[in-house]
This record gives sequence, C-alpha cells and structure tokens, in this order.
Amino acid sequence: MASRPTVTVRSASGEAGSSLPLPAVLTAPIRLDVVQQVHKSMAKNKRQPYAVSEKAGHQTSAESWGTGRAVARIPRVGGSGTHRSGQAAFGNMCRGGRMFAPTKVWRRWHVKINQNQRRFAVASALAATALPSLVLARGHRVEEVHEIPLVIGSSIESAKKTRQVAEALAAVGALSDVKKSAASKKLRAGKGKMRGRRHRARRGPLIVYNEDAGIVRAARNLPGVEVCQVTRLNLLQLAPGGHVGRFVVWTEGAFARLEEVWGTGEGPSQLKKDYYLPSSKLANPDVTRLINSAEVQAVVRPAKNSGVQKRPWTQHKNPLKNKLVLFRLNPYAKTVRRQELLKQERKKRLAAAGKKTGDTKKPSAPVAGEAFISTLLAP
Amino acid sequence: MSADLQWLLVRNSNAFMVKRVREGPIFSKEPGNPMNIHSYKYSGLVNTKTIDVQESPSGIQVTTKTTKASPHAVKGSKRTSSIRNNSGSRRSFGIASSHAKRGYRSDLRKAVIARVSALQEARSVKKPQPEKKVRGKKAKAASA
Repeated sequence: MASRPTVTVRSASGEAGSSLPLPAVLTAPIRLDVVQQVHKSMAKNKRQPYAVSEKAGHQTSAESWGTGRAVARIPRVGGSGTHRSGQAAFGNMCRGGRMFAPTKVWRRWHVKINQNQRRFAVASALAATALPSLVLARGHRVEEVHEIPLVIGSSIESAKKTRQVAEALAAVGALSDVKKSAASKKLRAGKGKMRGRRHRARRGPLIVYNEDAGIVRAARNLPGVEVCQVTRLNLLQLAPGGHVGRFVVWTEGAFARLEEVWGTGEGPSQLKKDYYLPSSKLANPDVTRLINSAEVQAVVRPAKNSGVQKRPWTQHKNPLKNKLVLFRLNPYAKTVRRQELLKQERKKRLAAAGKKTGDTKKPSAPVAGEAFISTLLAP
Repeated sequence: MSADLQWLLVRNSNAFMVKRVREGPIFSKEPGNPMNIHSYKYSGLVNTKTIDVQESPSGIQVTTKTTKASPHAVKGSKRTSSIRNNSGSRRSFGIASSHAKRGYRSDLRKAVIARVSALQEARSVKKPQPEKKVRGKKAKAASA
C-alpha cells in the first residue's frame, strides 16, 4: 500500500472538511463464521432462566399395580369415583404425567466466549461497516451518503436537541435510514406485545461518539438510532442478527480514537492489553488480479494442445443433418448424393443450352390395363 | 477488499435477495443488476464496475460506477448518461452498448441492451388494431 487511504470528516452542516487516516481495524479480515458464532453465544447470555414446575406430573399418589392384572406396570392413580382413578401417571408417555427430562432453572444459560474471539468478531464487524456494499446489503439506506465510513465533526457530540442531530444526519445524507426505521414500525406478532416489546422496527444508524456532551440524549429518540461510546463497541449493535455491515456514523473524536482502542495493525492496542489486530492470510485477496499478475503469468506454461481440444464426451450428431456421420453409417448414401449432384448439374447445363428440361418421355397411359381395372372393380 | 471476497459475504444473505420459489431461481432487487439475477457476474453491489439501467420520467438512466473512485465512495462515484424519451432504438442501443465498446464490462453488453430494449418496449404505446372490415353477408346486411 503506497499511501494510507483517508476518510473525509464532514461538518454538521454537511461540508467536507479535514480528513483522517483510515484506522487499521477497518481493514481487518471479515470472518462471517466468527461473527455469527460469537453473536449466537452473546445473544444466549441475555436469556432468562425458565423451567417447568418441580412438582408437575408428580402431584398424585399413584403406584404400580404390579403384574397379574393384564395392564402395564406403570404407576396408576388409586381410588374410585373419578375418571382419574386407574389411569397411568408420572411417566412422560402418560397423560398428566411429567415431561421427559423436566427442564431445570440451573441449566447452563451462559456461554463463555474467548476474549480474543470476541474481539475478532467485533473487529470483523467494524471492518464490514467500512464497506459500502456490505452496508447496502444489510439494507441500510446510504445511497445519499458521500463516503462510507461516515465521519461527522465532533461538534455533534454536544448536540442537546434531537432536531440538531436529525438536521446533521440529513445534511450528510443519513436521514433516509432513520426514516426507513420509522416507516418500518410494526406491531410485534405474539405475546411479546404484552411484555414490553410492543413494536418491532428496522435498525437505523449507530452513532459512535467519544465524549458524551449531550449526544446520547439528543439522538436516542430518533427511531432506529442507537448510540455507543467508542471504547464500548458491542457486536450485538455492530452486527444485529449476526449480519455484518451496520451503518455507523462516527464522530471525529471517536474515529480518531479507533487506532488507540484497536491498535495500528503493527502495534498493540493501548486499551486492550497485549492485543494485536488479526491479520489476513492473504495480502491480496483479489484472485483474478493474482492470476493475471506479471509474476504468475511469467512462469505459467503455455496451455497444452491449445487450438483443437478433443471433447471428453462424444457428442450426438444428427446423421440427417451431418453428412459425415451419414456417410459413416451408410456408405451408399455418398453414391446417391453424388449421382444427385451430377444429375442436377446436367439439368443446369441443359437449361443453359436452351433445351427443355426434365424427362422428355411423358407418362402416356395408365399402367394398369383395361382388363385389369374391370376385374378389379367387378362386383 | 476484493470483489470476490465481498461476494462471499453477501452471497448467502442480503437485503436485495428475492427467494420466492423454493427450488427456483434467486432474484435480486439491487441497483446495478441488469438481469435482476442473484449472481456474482450481475451483482451491482460487489462489482467495482457495474452498469445500472433504470427508468425515470425524463428517460432511461444508464449509470456506471467510475473506475477511479475510492472503494469507500458512495454518492459521488457514479456517472449517468440518459436516453431521452423520444430516442429511437438505434440511438438508445448505441448509448447502452457504448460502455461495452470502451471495454467497460463488455460481458454485460447483451444484458444491458436487453434491459434498455425491454424498458423502451414497455413504454411504447401500442397502436390500436384497425377496425375489422365486414365482408360478405354481414356487409350486405350492414349496407341494406
């Protein structure tokens, strides 16, 4: 890389201003598998324990009847006077019995995620936020944004009013994503409605700030918008649903701190102890470019039997259309064809000489004789 | 990041995919996909060079990604040429294939021309069929 790519910082009114170098974390390898696995594990850590009642299916004094009564030896409810008496109990196959392996609240609800893996996932998700194609593929409306990653000057951090944030987002072309979120608000299906999760909506932009001077309260009421501090980036926000490419709006301060938080690629992070960014296996992942490079092309051998290549399978050829195949199948066809051509040529020559073409003989009389026809039609 | 790698990231799930028939084709709604087919070749998201053909009230817009644009640029990285509403097929096909002629995605030539052609066909107002002339007995009955 000759020079490091830079990112333009836009003011809250949308004008391009100074520029910042692209931090190394935004070019980290994007590993979907790592992101998805870590996301799955992280999502599990939010679960609340649940279990069936400890007593369920065991609130009866059933006992087995033993052998000799021509019924299964399953415990049965005693007594008489009700339908329940004599019915089987307890077993998971029984009506009114307990379930198989009743669930317990002490199930292992939380999943440990290795720290390096977790960081790898966040670095991957961050790198994906810097690629327009991936942000578009996640469904964010960023067609009007000049550049991705989108960096706004730090004055936005001291915005006190939601309107100020909305105006700034509109100026840089990011408001259409907020509008998309607002328009997507739907009533949730199922019981979540009555449990404080009444509506569901698409995610909008994630605003990442460095110092909160009012931005958190100012931005959080915009539909779909989430706000996060740059040292506390979270995979659940960077890759909702495990799909990378969240639309991130950086403040200048936050963007400038990314190298400090994640390291420069060569050097370690200043905030994470002994942490180095993951590096790609391939320096240049552009396979087409590699193949067509001068270095590779200089050492490749010329293709063998270029020009004519025999088909590995036999192709069916229609003998009615393909003469060679026809002559192979029927050698006499060649003679027939030749005679035909000769005849045609003769005809042509005769026509040119002004003579009457075709056969000179005329069919004179019916082939069958008078006697034959009279016999044939005889009653 | 190379287009090949980006394709691997958006291939399995993206917001533009349309899977309607279970075993059927996968379509794509993305801008810059001349065939609306979910494939690397036609993908308008990941390819560095794409040709987008869209209809607008003022005519058909043929938009390309500029080759020199940074991979991070979004809005200013496109060039649009438009085919006016009263352009005939010869002129519009010339505009449609002009990119291919210059070596810009010549593999998309056929698809782009087909799309332009389809858009024009859809726009053209069909002439009404001439009224049927009555002949024979009916003509006699009508004149009488």
